[in-house]
Amino acid sequence: MQHAVELEELGAEINDASRFLEQAEVLLSQRIVGQLEVIRRVFISMLVNGHILLEGVPGLAKTLIISTVASVMNLKFQRIQFTPDMLPADLIGTMIYNPKDMEFYPRKGPVFANVILADEINRSPAKVQSALLEAMQERQVTIGNQTFPLQEPFMVLATQNPVEHEGTYLLPEAQVDRFMMKVIVDYPSYDEELEIMLRSATTSVKAPIQAVVQADDIFRARALIDRIYVDPRVQHYIIDLVVATRNPGLYGMAELGAMIEYGASPRASIFLLLAAKAHAFLQHRPYVTPEDVKAIAYDTLRHRIRPGYEAEADNIKPDDMIRQILQHVQVP
Amino acid sequence: MNARSKKKYSVLLRPLFFLALALLSTTFQVEARVLPVVTVTPDTVLVGDRIDCLITVNHSSEEAVSLEGINVQALQPFELISSKRLSPKVLSGITQDTFELKLVHFGAGKQTLPFFTVLFHDAAGRLADRLTFRPSASVYVRELTDASMRDLRPIKPPLSPLIPYLLLLPALLGVFGVGILAMLLIFFLKRTVRNSAERVDSGQVAQRKLRKLGTSLSAGMPPHECYEELSNIMRSFLETHYRISALEAVTQEIERDLKKLGVAGFESIMNLLKQADLVKFADSRPDVEESRQSLHKASEVIRSTRRSRSSDE
Repeated sequence: MQHAVELEELGAEINDASRFLEQAEVLLSQRIVGQLEVIRRVFISMLVNGHILLEGVPGLAKTLIISTVASVMNLKFQRIQFTPDMLPADLIGTMIYNPKDMEFYPRKGPVFANVILADEINRSPAKVQSALLEAMQERQVTIGNQTFPLQEPFMVLATQNPVEHEGTYLLPEAQVDRFMMKVIVDYPSYDEELEIMLRSATTSVKAPIQAVVQADDIFRARALIDRIYVDPRVQHYIIDLVVATRNPGLYGMAELGAMIEYGASPRASIFLLLAAKAHAFLQHRPYVTPEDVKAIAYDTLRHRIRPGYEAEADNIKPDDMIRQILQHVQVP
Repeated sequence: MNARSKKKYSVLLRPLFFLALALLSTTFQVEARVLPVVTVTPDTVLVGDRIDCLITVNHSSEEAVSLEGINVQALQPFELISSKRLSPKVLSGITQDTFELKLVHFGAGKQTLPFFTVLFHDAAGRLADRLTFRPSASVYVRELTDASMRDLRPIKPPLSPLIPYLLLLPALLGVFGVGILAMLLIFFLKRTVRNSAERVDSGQVAQRKLRKLGTSLSAGMPPHECYEELSNIMRSFLETHYRISALEAVTQEIERDLKKLGVAGFESIMNLLKQADLVKFADSRPDVEESRQSLHKASEVIRSTRRSRSSDE
């Protein structure tokens, strides 16, 4: 069977270019037990210039995953702990007056890094959240009257705690939509927990992890991902999934229509396609299959579907809705 | 005896005769009075419960009757709550008067009703007769409360009439019977539908579709369209044959399900599906010969799967 020549070449290039991720995965597995899916989502996001919102109860190694990924990637990493008394200037920087030459100079804030860990993003007020989310979207920051582009690659990984709501500022839907994926960090399995306990219950200081990924590796991968083939059937499948969140009745799920207040935005289609391509890249495939779309559908759609009153009353979560949509929309 | 002495005797006997006559008439009058009827309901009460006492007196229509001494003292040890005279009934010259007394007793044990006196008056209102009697009816008073209790107990609500269950029983049995019949009917219908569905062999259907596809390929159908159709035929076959959700599943999910079931010819099935995926999603361009070989392989896989299934059965 003959493939299109460019796809064969692309396949070979992808095989070569994705090797750095395998190395990173091996290194990460030495420091982090389990959570492989979360790590892969972070890779996908990094490969297609997206941002991730991580949600999980405290103590599930959210911060450890992100800081370890950053250190494996030889990228500048900044952790920002969001607090209620924070100001936008604490994040993006401010103008400082120099009495020597009687001039104002910009002092850049912690947002000027490659990987930003916005820890507990919902603890800071809306204006701080807006400042960060604007930086995420525009990839540039204005201090005073000067605009500074952010360094590439630039990725924000924000965390939030789903159970503790007192003294928090819920992220508005419009801002949550800017995150490419919302990843749920779940509890480890029994065996994983045993291993975590044995590995962590020591007093010795862990050796710093070796950086194996360079920014150039990421840029090369990005260029290849752009060339990954997406058949029109798969493109239509993506659109079908997104439209089904807005109008489930068209796909034989009339009862789901009453459960959804708002469906996914066009950003969902864009991010679904990008993430599916990155997923195919991780599988060393030069083309996207519906499997890639299904694999990332939950993480890409769950924060873009707003459940209605009936769904909340029946305790139906966005994940249940996505499951139903995936079961009903015909795979090409 | 001479006529003079006869006259003397008759003068003496006449008053005696009339006196005897008068006495006889009085005796007959007394004997003709019927004793009043006294009924007490209920015959067993609790201390403080109301007792209904009905005294029915039958008398001639020319007379009027009344009860004498209906008061607290006279009725001891019972206490009078209320007394009422009901409208008299007249039946063929006999009038029936009824007195309704509501009594209460705060003692305990068997209680006999006190003496009653009925007064009979003539048309002019003069007392014609009086009749004192003690009713044979009695009341048993149960002591369930404090002996010093001197309050009336509340009036009991009227008992609701009993549901005639015996009348409902045939209707209930009828409904039950209809339900059983409906369930039997549904059971047999389902079995018939299932049997007829099983008779349609998914393998035969798939083979027929593959033959048709081969004919279309020979007639000039583009090979990539042939692979798309081949994928659909295989998925339909797997869905009906192994009862897995193959039409809405991606190849990876089908692979997982078939592996779980331990399906014979698993490798061949997956190869065919993956080849079809390459054509569908990776812009692969198979030639006619490759397509024909894939159709042949699909036909072989289906045949072997059916054979292994029938040998298993």
